[in-house]
Amino acid sequence: MMNSDDWLLRVEDLSVHFRTPRGVVQAVDHVSFEVKPKETLALVGETGCGKSVTARSIMKLVPEPPGEYASGAVLLRNLKTGAVTDMLSAPMDQVRATRGDRIAMIFQDPGKALNPSLTIGRQLAEVFGEHRAAMLLTQAGIDPEKGPIGSGSIASQRAGVLRRNFFHLTRRGHSRAIRAAVDDAVMSALSDTGIPNPRKVMSSYPHELSGGMKQRVMIAQALACDPDLLIADEPTTALDVTIQARILDLINDMQQRRGTAILYITHDLSLVRQFADRLAVMYAGRIVESGPALEVLKSPQHPYTQGLLAAIPRAGTPRGKLAAIAGSVPQLIDPPAQCHFSSRCTWCAEACTSHIPKLIHMPGDRDVACLRFEQADSIGVDPSDMPSHVASAEVVS
Amino acid sequence: MTMTSIPQSAASNEPRKDRLRTRASSVRWARRREVLREVMRNPLTVVGVVIITLFLLMAITAPLLTEANQPDPYQSPRDWANIDVGPGVEGHVLGTDSTGGDVLYGIIWGSRLSLQLSLTVVISTLIIGTIVGSVAAMRGGRLDNFLMRIVDVFLAIPELIFALAIAAVLGPSFRNIILALAVVFWVKYARIIRGEIIRVKQTDYVAAARVVGDSTWNIYRKDVLPNAVTPLVVQATLDMGNVVLIGAALSYIGLAQAGLTEWGAMVSAGQSGILAGQWWVSTFAGVAILLWALAFNLVGDGLRDALDPKTEGR
Amino acid sequence: MQVKQYLIRRLALLPLIMLGVSVIVFTLTRFTGSPVGIYATPNMTPDEVAALEERYGLDEPIPVQYAYWLGGLLRGDLGWSGVSVAPVTDVIGLKMAATLELALFAALVAIIGGIALGTIAGVRRNKAPDHAARFFSILGASTPTFWFGLLLLIPFYLWLDWFPLGRSTPEIFDSIGHPTGLYTVDAAISLNPTAIWDSIRHIILPAVVLGFGSMAIIVRMMRSSMVETMSEEYVDAARAKGLPEKLVIKRHARRNALVPTATVIGLSFGFLLQGAVAVELIFRWPGLGQWVTGAILSGDQATIMAYVLVTSLIFMLVNLAVDIAYAYLDRRVVLGS
Repeated sequence: MMNSDDWLLRVEDLSVHFRTPRGVVQAVDHVSFEVKPKETLALVGETGCGKSVTARSIMKLVPEPPGEYASGAVLLRNLKTGAVTDMLSAPMDQVRATRGDRIAMIFQDPGKALNPSLTIGRQLAEVFGEHRAAMLLTQAGIDPEKGPIGSGSIASQRAGVLRRNFFHLTRRGHSRAIRAAVDDAVMSALSDTGIPNPRKVMSSYPHELSGGMKQRVMIAQALACDPDLLIADEPTTALDVTIQARILDLINDMQQRRGTAILYITHDLSLVRQFADRLAVMYAGRIVESGPALEVLKSPQHPYTQGLLAAIPRAGTPRGKLAAIAGSVPQLIDPPAQCHFSSRCTWCAEACTSHIPKLIHMPGDRDVACLRFEQADSIGVDPSDMPSHVASAEVVS
Repeated sequence: MTMTSIPQSAASNEPRKDRLRTRASSVRWARRREVLREVMRNPLTVVGVVIITLFLLMAITAPLLTEANQPDPYQSPRDWANIDVGPGVEGHVLGTDSTGGDVLYGIIWGSRLSLQLSLTVVISTLIIGTIVGSVAAMRGGRLDNFLMRIVDVFLAIPELIFALAIAAVLGPSFRNIILALAVVFWVKYARIIRGEIIRVKQTDYVAAARVVGDSTWNIYRKDVLPNAVTPLVVQATLDMGNVVLIGAALSYIGLAQAGLTEWGAMVSAGQSGILAGQWWVSTFAGVAILLWALAFNLVGDGLRDALDPKTEGR
Repeated sequence: MQVKQYLIRRLALLPLIMLGVSVIVFTLTRFTGSPVGIYATPNMTPDEVAALEERYGLDEPIPVQYAYWLGGLLRGDLGWSGVSVAPVTDVIGLKMAATLELALFAALVAIIGGIALGTIAGVRRNKAPDHAARFFSILGASTPTFWFGLLLLIPFYLWLDWFPLGRSTPEIFDSIGHPTGLYTVDAAISLNPTAIWDSIRHIILPAVVLGFGSMAIIVRMMRSSMVETMSEEYVDAARAKGLPEKLVIKRHARRNALVPTATVIGLSFGFLLQGAVAVELIFRWPGLGQWVTGAILSGDQATIMAYVLVTSLIFMLVNLAVDIAYAYLDRRVVLGS
């Protein structure tokens, strides 16, 4: 990877394991990647390849137990100060302060990700209450240092109390001014995402809204605090086809306007073509290929990526000629040390079943994890056991 | 298709259908064995099974454990020389009550009464409830509506209070307690089985059986009922304990005949002694009720967990 | 509004079910034969008995008799209570207030305790607090209330003498007003500290004993619904917003777990009402339960039947209230299903 300081998120050697009665599932296995400010990285793979777990790890949302961060770091850089936080080892207070403020997440099914028993307004107000309490109090004409409640001696302590009680405060309506400030913030967040009647939506319950509207609400909630990074976990999979495009346009549009970096979790390569700057393909818990999206799509190097692309139906493909990758994803309970794709790969050779391929950096800012790009002597096997070699120079052409 | 062709096609499908059914039933039995194995893996359930077995042994061997009192073995023999003696006195391991009745004797013969009470009530209400619930669900329409309104009315009166009123009208006797509980308890089963049958009726295999032209009775007997009984089994197990709890409460209140070796009646007989420091009569009789109910609750709970896919691994 | 329509439908169903209950109760009163025995004396001639029957309409066909009886019921004529030596209507209010007060306090114990324990168990699933809560809930469902009450009398009444029996110390409660009939509330209104302390001292032990069984039921339900809501995506979404875990559990997981628990709370009120019979007997609480046990022992049918009618009515009303609360708590419920 490029050794520049121009990065926002750096996932380094991340491994996430799940303890199950049948054994340890290595859901994410030594994954590394980087997201630059304002760019869109698409993390692509089949269901169960570990992409969602990777996304959740960034927010430290994997349930422990049964989950366990077995190795690695999730580094988040503060673009203003340059300070770096490791989400996995930082104290919980700091992780919470980051969640929803600097990293936000849109979930796959907005119907499930919104609390059914709270109004939309209250759910959005929570985000502001947690991260923008002081600002809103100032807007309401209250000095956040003094605050309307408590008389703690230390200012920071008071801010903490304030934050915790903020929500109840607005609910009880102790202060009309605070309430008005929160309502304003919520309404502007909602109308920013093109919701036509924000005042009405605010007082609605999730079940009263359509799927597309709910996802707009989720986006409004995610972008409420202007995060540096937005994680979108299959944001359109649960939606009707007609609404999918509109939601994607909205996310794209918001990114243009606010300069948010996006980590796109998807299994849909056609979306990648339209929206992603860069692309990382995951297979069975590992990244097998990454690089600039268009380049990778144009000339995929890893056999799995090639198979994925061949499986996409295109206009002009003769009927009945859809390619599918033979075999199925191996199960990840105590997997052997080998290329996980070897059982389905047409190039598979002896060495592929005894070695885990490393990500090899190649010209054009591309990486591939396949023994076909490695030298037999560098991993110490007999050249006859290697799959047919590809020189990295061939890739660029 | 003409009317006459339906039975023909049904006949030609007969062997295949039966084969399918045999397979479905063997799958069901395999699943039941699996559930049983899973149930017995839960240590608490095993504790329940052990307690139940001990109670059963106690009930069966009662005449061997203690000599039956004549003429009525369900009245404690009176030892007038030893009134209100505490546990450990020669010949009275758990003490005696204020009329010299032996507490251990009462508990042993009381287990017979509890068994009689719970089995009679649960089995009879299970049958009545299944019939009513099945008729309602299979016939549907106005009959269903009518039966379910009756169920609603029955459910509007809390169980114990309903049974109490019936038993009070019939007069104090243990037999009347059994009768009263039987009148009250069928409602739950009717409601459960109705809900289950309606659920099963919507499944594909019942639709398939109907397409093949099977009679309603056959569909009910071979496809619907076997797939709908699971929650009933759980409820019936729990009720083996509940019935004894409520029955004991009724005889505690005074709805069983005086001096009966029924655990609830024994708690009642011992309560006047409690304030005088004679704790043993009520305490031991109550422990018997508690253990009985606890055992069936543990087993019922284990069954529910094993049978409910939702609670799997929880 | 959906909720309003639902409410109306439920309210319309209530009298119908109560009508059904009244039929059952009437049937029970006629079960052992003509109630003329209440009025007749052994030395009456058959003619005199027949005259009595005619006077009370007992020679009419059964449905007509039922209509008379129901008419009386609706006019507030619940018969003559032998145990209280007064018309049932005159005494039932006082008894009901006593039982309701006890049941409400027991419900408070059960609901607060049940929700707290169930929440902890659900959050800390498969850990020690969870196992403890599970065992506790099974134990609670298996404990005979009357026996548990007696058992607690030994330490708390006999040895420590912390809690007195009965409902109040008469000298104290004769001196204050009784606007509500609920002694704790009356005492609170009177602002008399002795009375407040006295009423609380009397109610604590019976309320705990009575609430114990219902608490077990609520713990069970609360635990399993917490386990379910804790794995919902909106809980993760709440965490992703940066909310502290305490708020995530309280506002997101627990709030939604309360919805299914609400129905169980309604049903467990039935347990409270029926458990009150024994608890009132043990703690000499002058409520419906003590009243009805007295009536059973003296064969006072009018009292028993009035008791059945009133408790069913309370039970139905509580469940109606719970259903309404349920409809408000969870806007998604398909109302009426």
